Amino acid sequence: MKLFKLICMTSLLTFTSVTFADVAVIVHPSNNAQLSDQQIAKIFLKKQKSFSGQQKAIAINLPMKNAVRDEFQQKALNRSASQIKAYWAKLLFSGKGSAPKELTLETDVKAFVANNPNAIAYIDNKNVDASVKVVKVF
Amino acid sequence: MKKHVSVFAACMTALTPFCYGEITLNGFASIVAGKTLSSDETLYRYDNDVSFEQDSLFALQAASDLGDGLSVVAQVMAKGKNDWEPKFEWAYLSYELTDKVQVLAGRQRIPFYMFSDFLDVSYAYNWITPPANIYDIPFSSFNGLGVIYNDSFGEFNTSLHAIYGSNPENINLNDAAIESDLKQLTGAALTLSRDWLTLRAAYFTFEHNIPVFDGLADGYRAFGQNEMANQVQVSGDDAQFFELGFQMDLTSLFVLGEYTFSEVKGAPLGETENFFISIGRQIDELTLHITYGETKIEQDAITQNVPVGLSPQLDGLIAATNGLTNSFNVQSQYTTLGLRWDLHPSAALKFEYTSFDDENNNFNDASVFKTALVTVF
Repeated sequence: MKLFKLICMTSLLTFTSVTFADVAVIVHPSNNAQLSDQQIAKIFLKKQKSFSGQQKAIAINLPMKNAVRDEFQQKALNRSASQIKAYWAKLLFSGKGSAPKELTLETDVKAFVANNPNAIAYIDNKNVDASVKVVKVF
Repeated sequence: MKKHVSVFAACMTALTPFCYGEITLNGFASIVAGKTLSSDETLYRYDNDVSFEQDSLFALQAASDLGDGLSVVAQVMAKGKNDWEPKFEWAYLSYELTDKVQVLAGRQRIPFYMFSDFLDVSYAYNWITPPANIYDIPFSSFNGLGVIYNDSFGEFNTSLHAIYGSNPENINLNDAAIESDLKQLTGAALTLSRDWLTLRAAYFTFEHNIPVFDGLADGYRAFGQNEMANQVQVSGDDAQFFELGFQMDLTSLFVLGEYTFSEVKGAPLGETENFFISIGRQIDELTLHITYGETKIEQDAITQNVPVGLSPQLDGLIAATNGLTNSFNVQSQYTTLGLRWDLHPSAALKFEYTSFDDENNNFNDASVFKTALVTVF
């Protein structure tokens, strides 16, 4: 029983230490789109190509294995890294689409969104500043 | 390779200064080793000696966005079973008419099945290759036009993929490459998905010509057996194909299945029914899955009305015809147990054991074990 408790405690600890970050979904400050969680997921899976109106949406990803990206995929897309990879492999190799563009650094992502009215991305909530607008925190 | 591409890209840019001209290269590969479990067995082209050829493949895909919704994409694949000879699997121009409508022109996959679009991309599914009874098809691509319409209605996403075209490429029938001509291939696949559920239905018709049976037909004609000649000849015969499929992707559990029916009317090739059902569970990097499938092909004998003993030649024709129709009477089933391990963000290691059971001929019963390293890049 003690061992069981210990296992529970440690797994709880590791669990919480992995899911530390709040992920903020960010857009250009001029973007007034109201986005539901489902729409956010659709845009990042390229199932929806524009914001609520006619405005084209350009989703930006952080690289694979990035902790914030893993967090975003788990919480917003409800999928694991390998499921996402398989999803894009299906679309890519049937010639039907390609994964969102990737930028390596969160600062680059933020700068891209701050300068592009069509952009949508996600960064660690603690890195958000006034140059971008937060539409949702996961 | 990179050099060639950059030279090509430079040419493209030089020729069309306003085009984006950027070519992206991607690829995928499967390295598969397999063998049957006892010395007298063969299954899915494997025998008791370890073979790396049967399912191994390497593919490169080049795509270029030409701007304004126009793009071009081509896939070249080399398969071990074809002596690694590279071949254009498909190549087409794609135009996004609207946000919801995409038009494809060129050589493309026939959307027969749930996994047709990425048939050879093992990384995209859990098996090493999709269930052979359904997916080991004699042809998978066509030349022509495709239209894909995507829309959503409330919580449902729909995708309608309609095609029209032809395919003059040789087909693989009973493990021999034979001449074939497919004309007026027409049909569509409809996919409905909502959250964890995906439903699919497809229907296609085409006109099939397989000249290899002409000799048999000519033989019958020489004996005035014109009705028999028409029955064995596969010339302009109407074929139809029907598919139903479903997938349920729950958090760590998934269930999927597919059923197909196909026939060539007026040809002695049998009515074919196939299905499989697969259940699996994903726990972190490991996915364990089990698949059960059945095949039923039925073909009546067609030589009842031909007189026996008139001539040795005619008797020979009858024997050949009976042999053919007999080969299209199959009742078999298999069970596949597999494990996938996502050991790397771009690669997976897979293990698979299949036990195959032929109800009409125990001699064909066999088990095969395969292991594969599959990757996308």
